Amino acid sequence: MGADYSLQKKEILNVAIERFDFQSGGEASSQLKNLLRKLGVGSDTVRKTAIVTYELEMNVIIHSFGGEITAQISEDELVIYANDKGPGIADLEKALTPGFSTAGSEIREMGFGAGMGLVNVRRYADNMDIRTAEGEGTNIKVTINLEKPLSD
Amino acid sequence: MAAKHSVLLKEDKCEGCTNCVKKCPTRAIRVHQGRAWIKEDLCIDCAECIRTCEYHAKYTETDKLGDIKNYNYPVLIIPPSFYGQFGSDISASKIKAAILKLGFKRVYDVAESAAALSRKTLEFLENNSGSFISASCPVIIRLIKLLYPDLIDMIIPFKSPVELCAEKTEKMLEEKENIKADIFLLTPCPAKLTTIKYPLGQKKSFLSGAVGVENIYQKIYDKLSEVTEEEAEQFSDFSPATIWGQEGGETDILKRWRGISSINVSGIHQVKKILDEIERNNISSDVKYFELTSCIDGCVGGVLNVVNPFQAKFNLQKRMEQISEMEKEDKNDFIYNFLITEKIEADDVGKLDSDFNKAMEKLEQMEKEIELLPGLDCAACGAPDCRTFAEDIVNGLANRSDCIFMLRKNVGQLADELSELAHELPPVMSSKKEENNESKRSD
Repeated sequence: MGADYSLQKKEILNVAIERFDFQSGGEASSQLKNLLRKLGVGSDTVRKTAIVTYELEMNVIIHSFGGEITAQISEDELVIYANDKGPGIADLEKALTPGFSTAGSEIREMGFGAGMGLVNVRRYADNMDIRTAEGEGTNIKVTINLEKPLSD
Repeated sequence: MAAKHSVLLKEDKCEGCTNCVKKCPTRAIRVHQGRAWIKEDLCIDCAECIRTCEYHAKYTETDKLGDIKNYNYPVLIIPPSFYGQFGSDISASKIKAAILKLGFKRVYDVAESAAALSRKTLEFLENNSGSFISASCPVIIRLIKLLYPDLIDMIIPFKSPVELCAEKTEKMLEEKENIKADIFLLTPCPAKLTTIKYPLGQKKSFLSGAVGVENIYQKIYDKLSEVTEEEAEQFSDFSPATIWGQEGGETDILKRWRGISSINVSGIHQVKKILDEIERNNISSDVKYFELTSCIDGCVGGVLNVVNPFQAKFNLQKRMEQISEMEKEDKNDFIYNFLITEKIEADDVGKLDSDFNKAMEKLEQMEKEIELLPGLDCAACGAPDCRTFAEDIVNGLANRSDCIFMLRKNVGQLADELSELAHELPPVMSSKKEENNESKRSD
């Protein structure tokens, strides 16, 4: 008997991320995208997920001391978690302001730190929940609704 | 056999090595029973396997000159890249006059239509916000349909220069001269041939066929010496849009005319990389246009060309030095129907099952198989890597024992079991032995 994934969530992604490991940037996003396509998830959702996951993993690479991206899926929703080991977001309201970034000049020279990371995540996600405190880690939970496939 | 694709296999030449399997950008090839099978629904006709095969077992069958003579009024259209096949000392007019001597009634340049398309593209980019991807390379459209369906809306909704040229030529000859012509393309690649049978964005192609450069090059070359000055003079030289034949040619026109910010990328593996970046929004929105071509260096790098791509690119560049500026307006452009007539649809492949629960079950099975596999991506099983092999197993297309390491492990286990068994004695013997031992002890 197979499990019923309309009721339970299953973890399909678990990628550890190190601080400043730019070479691995895109790994989680790419893996998740491929998994969703195998599960028959629609194009628009795949695109949203690719964008959101990439922003989240780049945030961990640039701003944190390291962490992980995990994802769980059920038939009607995808939940992506970005959990890091700190240092936490000092002013969350500011972090959610378009154009605001704490990234240093080196990061900006690399084309990152435009202050659109979390703004973009919020824009494409159906729900975003951030728990953070200065000096502690940040836990971001992003939910993306999966459209019901056309029954034919 | 009516194959869907233009890349074919000479079975007797295939050694069953996995070079092509590893190089295929869509993981469309598997080696089974000593030969390479192409999965039709995954092949995009990029010709990477033709390039890779050391045994020349992969080839393309295009129309031959002999076949074309059966047509009433065959017309040949020449892509910009073809001019890279000759040194710039041989004029374009002379080349066209030589082609006429091979039995074609007329010869036209695709570059004229490419120029018109450039004008149309500029107009489109000025009236539409967002960024767009060129539709000129059919391989790229197929790649997007297959692996990046979420980017389909970014493909500019215009026909390719080749189709525009064929449509215009057919219409022009019919309306002005009442001639029913059959239009053939002189093609540098197999993908353009496939597009005749399976059009993109159109119900039907305006082409009757395509002749590979390799089929006709030497014959054209031989006729060059017979061309008189009068014969050459009837042709215009060549369009400045001939620059489309190499990577960056299309965007160069857009940049020079109206300063359109664009990126050009050539080579299918590099194209996949930029599509990944576009997909995750990692390319700035300042970039308005992407010229993406499957062959390295653009169409001059087409696999059916005869002259090597380095020389061909040099030849084309040299020729471009002689050219004047291009017309920024042309009142004859109204003759073209630029817009595609059919929607570009996503290919429905790649999912494990159309039922979500079943797909999840298969995904779990797949992960379990991957755990068991060595992860060396050696391709000895015939699949390009362990992940794809695991997927094939789950889809019932391969057996775990096709993996040479799994097989070795199984044989090892079997050998251990055998050796254990060999040391165990049959019950009759063992009881006697025990009895003997006991009797000895009692002595």
